[in-house]
Amino acid sequence: MAGEEEESNKGFRLLGILDVQNTPCARDAILHGAGGSLTAGLLHFLATSRVKRSFDVGFAGFMLTTLGSWFYCRITNAKLRVQQRVIQDGIKNKVTYEGTVLDPTNKPGAETSSRPS
Amino acid sequence: MAHPSQLGFQDAASPVMEELLHFHDHALMIVFLISTLVLYIIVAMVSTKLTNKYILDSQEIEVIWTILPAFILILIALPSLRILYLMDEINDPHLTIKAMGHQWYWSYEYTDYEDLGFDSYMLPTQDLAPGQFRLLEADHRMVIPVESPIRVLVSAEDVLHSWAVPSLGVKMDAVPGRLNQTAFIASRPGVFYGQCSEICGANHSFMPIVVEAVPLQYFEKWSSLMLEDT
Repeated sequence: MAGEEEESNKGFRLLGILDVQNTPCARDAILHGAGGSLTAGLLHFLATSRVKRSFDVGFAGFMLTTLGSWFYCRITNAKLRVQQRVIQDGIKNKVTYEGTVLDPTNKPGAETSSRPS
Repeated sequence: MAHPSQLGFQDAASPVMEELLHFHDHALMIVFLISTLVLYIIVAMVSTKLTNKYILDSQEIEVIWTILPAFILILIALPSLRILYLMDEINDPHLTIKAMGHQWYWSYEYTDYEDLGFDSYMLPTQDLAPGQFRLLEADHRMVIPVESPIRVLVSAEDVLHSWAVPSLGVKMDAVPGRLNQTAFIASRPGVFYGQCSEICGANHSFMPIVVEAVPLQYFEKWSSLMLEDT
């Protein structure tokens, strides 16, 4: 059982560097990059019939698409993480402060009745 | 904890370590792209039939390979500095623990409320119970409440040591005559292992650190029991 878990967690490493399976956003970025590379290279070749230059354009397309997809996904994830933490703190604080003066859901009129004597 | 043939970091158990993991992914993606670029250029250079024996300079490519690395370095430096300052934020700790390094064990003092102190020696291999980890288990764990900011003051009684727990993203040198401060929040309950990270003599590899994060009521029970024992 532990062996099965280890095998499923051992991600495939591109160039021995990037663990595509276990790094968030990596798989999507590489796939988008591959798609962008194919599109850019093919379009350039169809327009110019220059093979080597089309490969160069395709590679440039790969770099730009991968970077763009990576940053977009990471920034979105980072914003979600911040939101998640704010919500968690809000839930924790609500439980702690419920019924007291510090409860953010207290209406102004009810504050005087909830103050401790 | 670490597992055999592990290449990456351990799972994060604190918010700072999560940020460090994300930054590591970011830097690794940049490294991967640069390596891909270099590999592509090598293949292109090796496979081209074009030769020009009279190239002396080229201002355009010089500008590109100056500006581009500077831009990449900024892309790496900005999140790095953000985490650096995040790690130094003062977070109003709920508990202060002193971790003192000795040859070759750690001692922990919880002196906020009562005078609680104990030593933490590595469990010898012959004394391990089935399922326990060789060279990592200790007889007394440093128990902390989960989801609470903890301040650890690290020092040493004899030679240099270093108090490190990778899954919490914490490492602080223990210097005799000096008090170093570090802080963390354990975001989930569990047992987190670390090892002394500064060479300190014959048994440097045999003075592990074990931190156990438990809910507050269990921490209170544990501290009462420890006080009764001492």
